[in-house]
Amino acid sequence: MVERSQKEVWRLAPWLMIILLLFNFVLMAFDAREARTQQRIIRVWTQTFADFVQSPATTVSSAVTSYFQSISNLRSAQTENDVLKQRVQELEVELQQKEDLTSENARLKSLLELKEEAKYKILPAQIIGRDPSVWFDTSIINRGSLDGVKLNMPVVTKGGLVGRVAQVSPLTAQIDLITNKMVREGAVIGELGSSNTLGVVSGAGKKEILEMDYVPGGVEVKAGETVYTSGQEGIYPPGLKIGEVIEVRSGSATVSPQIFIKLSANLSAMQEVAVLLYEPPLQPEFDKSLPNAGKKK
Amino acid sequence: MEQVKITVALIIAILLQWTLRNIAEPFAYIDFPLIIVVYAALGRNSIKALFYGTFAGVAVDALSGGLLGANGFSKTLIAYMVSELVRRVYLDNLLLRIPVIAGACLLDDLVYYGMQRLLGQELYAQFVPTVAYSLIGTTIAGTIIYLLLDSFFAENTVKRKREVFTPRRQTRRRNPIRLGNRR
Repeated sequence: MVERSQKEVWRLAPWLMIILLLFNFVLMAFDAREARTQQRIIRVWTQTFADFVQSPATTVSSAVTSYFQSISNLRSAQTENDVLKQRVQELEVELQQKEDLTSENARLKSLLELKEEAKYKILPAQIIGRDPSVWFDTSIINRGSLDGVKLNMPVVTKGGLVGRVAQVSPLTAQIDLITNKMVREGAVIGELGSSNTLGVVSGAGKKEILEMDYVPGGVEVKAGETVYTSGQEGIYPPGLKIGEVIEVRSGSATVSPQIFIKLSANLSAMQEVAVLLYEPPLQPEFDKSLPNAGKKK
Repeated sequence: MEQVKITVALIIAILLQWTLRNIAEPFAYIDFPLIIVVYAALGRNSIKALFYGTFAGVAVDALSGGLLGANGFSKTLIAYMVSELVRRVYLDNLLLRIPVIAGACLLDDLVYYGMQRLLGQELYAQFVPTVAYSLIGTTIAGTIIYLLLDSFFAENTVKRKREVFTPRRQTRRRNPIRLGNRR
């Protein structure tokens, strides 16, 4: 390497700074323009490389954490054991009742000649990394395109919806969490078939709190009601649990109410998630028989 | 050899930034790469500090939900400003470095936030609490890391101090009475 005098270094430094700043600015501008349509190769490569660092680190930290947790859990094991035994007995009774309901449902469906909806596979995954920047909240899982993961596939935990796949590499995938303001999903308050309180849910800028917009002004919404995905945006299947309404600021006939929802999935403590290998149904082809379809200028 | 050590420290800092948030959320408020970049800039080698800033920033951005290059932009700017500051002000004392790392962290957050908003990006975290926690976390961690790095690079720290404070030449005062006797 050529040895430079201090004066030479001080003379070159401003020019080098300008070049590097321009380089970074071009990177940003390029990334900003194509973030939603195409992945950046550098991100795919980096995520693939980072998997070899994040996976072992997560494995070691999980092992150490669970070791210390198991020691502390021994103290309350006996009491918890008794409580759980009782709960198991109650659940067995509930399960039997639900099995009866399921078989009744199947009989009724066949009577009405309803076709069964296509099932989608569930792929379990582990969170191996979080966003290194404190300004964003994405997560990285240890499943990638080699496991069948594709862009925009929904991600859930046992609590409910977590987010969707935003980027995929061969070994890993990055999840955009549902609390992100830019991630919006169609939602319905209550069951889809029985409720017409449809809207759009997005992040409210607070931890694990979402906001629901575009709900008709005259509809009554109460705190405690459950919110599910409606499936109308074409990304998430309908019926996935999002959360519960915690606050409603009523509007008027022409003004939508402000509805705040507490997320049912525990984002801060999640370690395992599941990717739904769900492909949304194809949008119906534009009806060419419409009156204005064939008009030419 | 010193440059190799700083490069290794920077790589370790980037790896920590990639992994520690998954272990405990508060680690997200410590900007390890920024701490090393500022340390490199305090070593009076601006060109290397600029490259470290760009490399560390792009490496963090590559796994982040933000724009690729935003961290690179802010850290490059910080590296230049700190290296220009250290040219003019003596900063080899650890106590003097604390406000430097604090100011660098604050400015880094402002520039990063500004660039994201300028290019139309929505950020997840709230501005004021995030900047505040980041300032506290990075300053405390930076102080501890600088203590460790200074002990690691002890010989170079002594050499730099000698370069800045050259020993004054002691002149002997001549006795005018004796001068008079010499004739």
